[in-house]
Formats: sequence, structure tokens, C-alpha cells
Amino acid sequence: MGSAKLEIRNLTKAYPGVVALDDFSASFEGGKVYALLGKNGSGKSTFVKCLSGAVTPTSGEILIDGQTITFDGPADANAAGIAVVYQELSLILDFTVAENIMLGRFATGGPGNIKIDWKETNTAAAKILKELRIDIPVTRKVSDLSVGQRQVIEIAKAMSLNPRVLLLDEPTSALARHEINSLMEVVRTLKAQGVVVIFITHKLNEIRGIADYVTVLRDSRHVGSVPIDVATPKVIVDMMFGETVLQSRPDDLKVGDKVSLKVSGLTRRDKFEDISFDVRAGEIVGIAGMLGAGRSELLRGIFGADRIDGGSVTINGTEVRKPTIPLMKKLGLAMTMENRKEEGLVQIMSVEDNLSLASLKEISHRGLISHFLQAPVAEKWVKQLHIKVSDPSYEVQSLSGGNQQKVVVGNWLNTDPKVVFFDEPTRGIDIVAKQQIFQIMWDLSRKGLSVVFVSSELEELLEVCHRILIMEAGRLIGEVTSPETTGIEDLYAMCMGEGARQLA
Amino acid sequence: MSTLATRRSNIRVSDFVLELILLVIVVLLGFSAPGFASWDNFMNILRSAATTGVIAFGMTFVIILGEIDLSVGSGVAFFGCLLALITETLGDAGYSLEMAIALGTVACLVVAICAGMFTGWIRHRLAVPTFITTLAWMAAFRGGAYLLTGSFPITPYPDWFFFFGAGFIGGIPFQAVVFLIVFALTWFISKYTVFGKSVYAIGGNAEAARLSGINVAKVRMAVMAMTSVLAVIAGIMVSSQIQAGNPTVGVSWEFTVISACVIGGVSLMGGKGRIWGTFVGVLFLEIILNGMTLLNIDEYWQYVARALLILGAVLIYQLQAVSRITR
Repeated sequence: MGSAKLEIRNLTKAYPGVVALDDFSASFEGGKVYALLGKNGSGKSTFVKCLSGAVTPTSGEILIDGQTITFDGPADANAAGIAVVYQELSLILDFTVAENIMLGRFATGGPGNIKIDWKETNTAAAKILKELRIDIPVTRKVSDLSVGQRQVIEIAKAMSLNPRVLLLDEPTSALARHEINSLMEVVRTLKAQGVVVIFITHKLNEIRGIADYVTVLRDSRHVGSVPIDVATPKVIVDMMFGETVLQSRPDDLKVGDKVSLKVSGLTRRDKFEDISFDVRAGEIVGIAGMLGAGRSELLRGIFGADRIDGGSVTINGTEVRKPTIPLMKKLGLAMTMENRKEEGLVQIMSVEDNLSLASLKEISHRGLISHFLQAPVAEKWVKQLHIKVSDPSYEVQSLSGGNQQKVVVGNWLNTDPKVVFFDEPTRGIDIVAKQQIFQIMWDLSRKGLSVVFVSSELEELLEVCHRILIMEAGRLIGEVTSPETTGIEDLYAMCMGEGARQLA
Repeated sequence: MSTLATRRSNIRVSDFVLELILLVIVVLLGFSAPGFASWDNFMNILRSAATTGVIAFGMTFVIILGEIDLSVGSGVAFFGCLLALITETLGDAGYSLEMAIALGTVACLVVAICAGMFTGWIRHRLAVPTFITTLAWMAAFRGGAYLLTGSFPITPYPDWFFFFGAGFIGGIPFQAVVFLIVFALTWFISKYTVFGKSVYAIGGNAEAARLSGINVAKVRMAVMAMTSVLAVIAGIMVSSQIQAGNPTVGVSWEFTVISACVIGGVSLMGGKGRIWGTFVGVLFLEIILNGMTLLNIDEYWQYVARALLILGAVLIYQLQAVSRITR
């Protein structure tokens, strides 16, 4: 198989009133990896949908190896040699790896034979995995695999169709660092086979080792493609956003003396053990750690979302041994959840309703919801948090990830909290929206509220927090008291359990 | 750009397709069916819509919650029989019939509320689907109705009891009044109360609702109990019409009720639906039946009409949804 070539000429997709992709032209060479960057709403998803056959372009051409291709649906795109791996996995969890890869084309003895030849099916699947140098037994159930392994199987499934072009839509967003590495290995193997790989991501640092070119979309237009060696962060950010200023923590944030949250000996079997720490008024405390270190579980335990097996939480002087969400809410604790889609929002409800989900009591009188109380609340948070929506009665699912996240935050700020937990608030949102989320945390601190911030992006923790706690395997193993002077490598090493116990 | 991707518009004609179709049918029947367009006939429609109709309003909450209740039809029979048996027994024991009926009603309500709360509770604690639990209730209620009565109707009622099935208040049938009151109440609850909003939130995303501090267990128990209570009310009205507790009534009513909700646009996926839609759905079924009777069409054609109605309505809703997404 020689090197593939994908050419896009004047691709345009217009919806009534909105041009989602505007006159996009570019060519992509086989054997190269292209990182496709752009903030939320820049037209990336539309580009992917045009190539996957999910939507029909308004005008323009797509050529593979010089042949113009058109398609009516995803099956046609597959036949034409384009495969797309989406962020949300499409594997059947109760099926084995081989069953998933070979689904729809199981080996049988021959035409007309309805009995599946499992030996042949498994062998064929194993061969595909071997070519991609993936070391996962084909008879393993997908439900027994880690998220990273599932992602790899998803790619293998796509590759088993022998595509010339592979689009990966944010494949790493749910992966731990070592899982990302094995995913990158697979991408390298594909590259060597002459496939065009287009890699969509939000994480600038992860494209370093893998991409050859950086292609940027902004405001529905193709801004340009540059070779990776000239694409410094500044170049990329400028291309993505025009001009932006990256802020860091303001100096005027004061940490008070009063302890607003005290956690003592908190334990949940198999999740975290004997966790104790204090958070003071106005303080922003980060929690760092690898995936599975128990950070989210800890926050959920304190908040009352999951049961705890021992220890206590003291919030504004009230000690609680059995936290429940209504109780913690009443005591002034708020928490924005890790998975905003599954846990933070009711997607089919309006922005307005989602903004008052946690404060239905506050917008009602004797059980009756008052529109006169609800409407100003929605208006207030849309304005204060810069939520981009022209009418709060729109369904929240029509908003971009960053704006959805702000709705989650607004919902909780509306409960008038004293302590706010942010669990991975920046996942899958663009740099501008991230900056706005940080700004919200700093504003809270300025008002004397306490913030606990969990993030897998260590840079963010260093940028935002007064102090960073480090968790490993369910225990607090260290603390960074001066994030300003701490390097990311040191923090990373500590999270891996390698660093010193305390870094001054 | 993405903020404009789907637009929930204010008022569009296409959102009222079903209402318009119903209106056209009413007009057509008015011209073709003898006696259709009369006050008495309209009252008649409301009256006969009442028994399944009141339950349908409760079922709307159940379905928005993402659940289902298959027990309502058998419940109507069971509660009717329970009431009759208690009335007969207490009457024989020397209580006045007024007292006996009142105590019997209270007993039915207690049983209904306990049954509904139990369904909601094991849904919450043990994640037993309401489909299963209410399937069990459906069998239990029907069996219970037969066991209580020994499979023969019990007829303990005094003449005044007939009022609940056939009486009038200011020229309007009592049943029609009940139907309209339950409609108004449930409409209000769904639209303007914290409880109503919680039902939508749980049906839309139960986990997000729980994490927002909404008491999911309480809401589930209350909704299931409410529907059972409405089955008691329907049971009393039916008992009054036939002046007896009869174990054979209410057969397959659960499907009539669910049909009305579906025709009214209540989504079986949960999270979406309106009491108004169910109101239209109930009337639609009843008007078709009434019109066919007046036109002397074989009553078995009503099943065909209902089938077409369900499919047609769902088709319309799907087309509306698709056009909203792709525009």
C-alpha cells in the first residue's frame, strides 16, 4: 500500500443563518500526522462530519488519491477509505475484542453458511491487532479493558477496513498518560503504513511527539498548516485565537485564617484512606494525582455523592460524619462534577432550568416555582459567567463544552456556597473557556470562598492554586506549598510517587 | 455558532399538528355524524374520557420520570372490588353505608399509596425496573380482585352512590368535572412546582438530578403513589357506573392510558412530555370512538383507528424532532 493523499477543495457547509465551515481547502499527505486544532465552535466537528459522511457539504470537493468522492452516509465514507474514531466509543462492552473488531463480517465456513467460524474470526482479529502491534488478547471482553485499551481497540476496528484516511476525534481526552503513550505507538505504526492521520485535540503538549503538521481552524475557516518544528505554543495559540493573553494567578488573592473545610481521617474502602487536610477561607487548593489516584472519589465522598466508611468532614464549624448531598448543600458546599454530560446537566432541559437545578428551593415559594425568581437568576449567571447563548430557554445540549461547563458552575454558585469543588472543570474545553473558569475561581477566592480544584492538567494546577495536595493510590502523599516556583516536571514526578514528600 | 445549532422556537404552527388534526376531525364529524355536534354529546365524550383520562395524567408523570406503570388497569378492578367488599362487610356489621364507603375509600387509598411507594422504593434502592414491579402488581391486583369477590360482582351500594358515575353538577357530568379538575391540577403541578420540575430533571438525567441534591427516591415514590391513587379514583367512578365491585373491569386499560400519553407526545425515553399533550391524546381517542359509534361503524374498527393514531402521532413527533435537528 503506497502513501495516500487527501485533498479538500473549497469545502463549505452552511446551515441556515450560520456557515459552519467556510471555503476550506487543504491537502494532507499519507505517512504524515496532522494535528487539527481549533477552539470549540471553530468548525472542527463540521469538518469531521463532512469527511465521515454524517453531513453533506453545501459545496466543495473531497479527493482521495486524486479521485473525487461523494457519499450519502457513513458507510460510503468507509468504502471510500475514510475512517473516523470518535471520542465516544462505539464498542459493545459485553462482546470480546474479536467480536467487536469483526462485527458485521464474522468469518463463516463460506457463503450460505450461517454458523460463525470462531477460530477464523479470532485469527483474523488477532492478525489486525498484530499489524498494529497491539498486545491485547482477542478473546478478552471489552468490559474488562481499561478506557485506553478500548480506545486502541476502537482504532483497530476502524483500521481493519483498511482506510486511507483516519480521523481521530480527541482520542486522548479520557486517557491516563501511559495509555496515551500506547495510543501514540499505534498512530506511529499507521503513519509508517502510509495512512493520512488527522488528529483532533485540545492538548497542545501531546501533539509534540507525534504530529508532523499543525492545522488550525478559526471561525469556520482554515487558518493554515505549519510544520511542527516551527509551531511554538505562541504560534499555535495565535493561530487559534488571534491575540490572547494567558493570565496567571493574580497577586491580590488573600488566604484567610478561618478554616472553612476540615477533612479528618476520611476513608472509603478501596478508594481512599485516612485523608486529612484543611482548606481556609479564600484559599484555592489543588489536588494532583494520576488517573485512579482517588481524587474525584475523595471529592464525591466529602460531598456526599458516595458513601464513606470512616472519618469526618467539618464545614464552617459543623462536623458531619455521614455526608449527604442535601445536607452538604445546606452547609454551603457545592461541587461541579467530572462528567458534565452524565452527571452535571440535564441535556434536554433549558439553560435556565439547568442553572437552577441545585437551587429549586431558592426560586420557589412553598413548592411553587416562580418565574419572577428564576428568570433573573438565569440572566445573572449568563452575564456573569459569559455563557454564550442568545436565549436561556435554549436546550443546554446546543451549547459548546465550555459554555456547558459554565452552566454547571452557575448552577452551583446559585446555591450561595462557601466552599466549591471543581472536578476536572476544564476537560474538553478550549483555552479561552479554561481561562474564564480560572477567572471564576479567582473571583470566588477574592470573595473569601474556598475552592478545591482537581485537574489532570498539572500546568493548570500550578497556574491557579495557592497550594497543591498530591494523591497516589488513595492516599495523600505530599504537598506543594509554592506552586509559583515549582516546575511541572517536579510535580509530575511527585504524582508518580517518585518525588520528595514535601517540596517547599 | 454552536449556540445556534438547535433553536427552541417560541410558537410555531408545526408544534400543534395534532391539535389541528383533531380540530379537523371534530369539524368533519360535526357535519357527518348525526348528533355529534351537541352539548350533550360533548359532555358524554368528557364523561367517558374520565376514567382512563385521570389515570393518563398520572401516567404522564410516570413516563416523564422514565418509568412505566402496567398495574393501573388491574388496579381499577382491585380497588373497585376492595371498596365493594369493605362496604358490604361493614354494612353487614351494622355501620351506615356512608361510613362504610368512606372507610372503604380510605382503605383503598392506603393500599394504593403503599403499593406505589413500594414500587418507587425498590426502583430506587434495588434498581428493579418499574416495568417488572408493576407487571407483578398487575397480576396481583387482578388475582386479588377475583379472590376478594369470589369472581362474582359485589353489589352493596345505595342509590346515591350512582352519583359518582352518572351524576351532574350544574349540568356537567360529575365524571367530566373530575376529569377536568385532575387535568388542571396535574397541569399546574407539571408546570409550576418544584416537584414537577424535579420529575422532568430525573427523567432527563437521574444522576445529574441526584447530584444536584434532588431527592430522587422521594419523587419516584410520590409519582408511583399518585398514579395508584388516580387508579382508585377511576375505580370508584367505574364502580358507581356499574353499581358493583366487578373483577373483570379495566382489562388492558394500561395500554389505553399509555396510548393516550404517547399520542400526546410524552417520550418513553423520559424527560419530555406535557399534560396538555396527554389531554389532547385522551380526547383524540375518545372522539374517534364516539364518532365511530355515531356513524354506526363496527366498534372493533376502533382498534385499527387507535393503531393508526399511535403510529401517525409518533411519526409526526419524529418528523418534528428530525426537522429541528437538521433544519
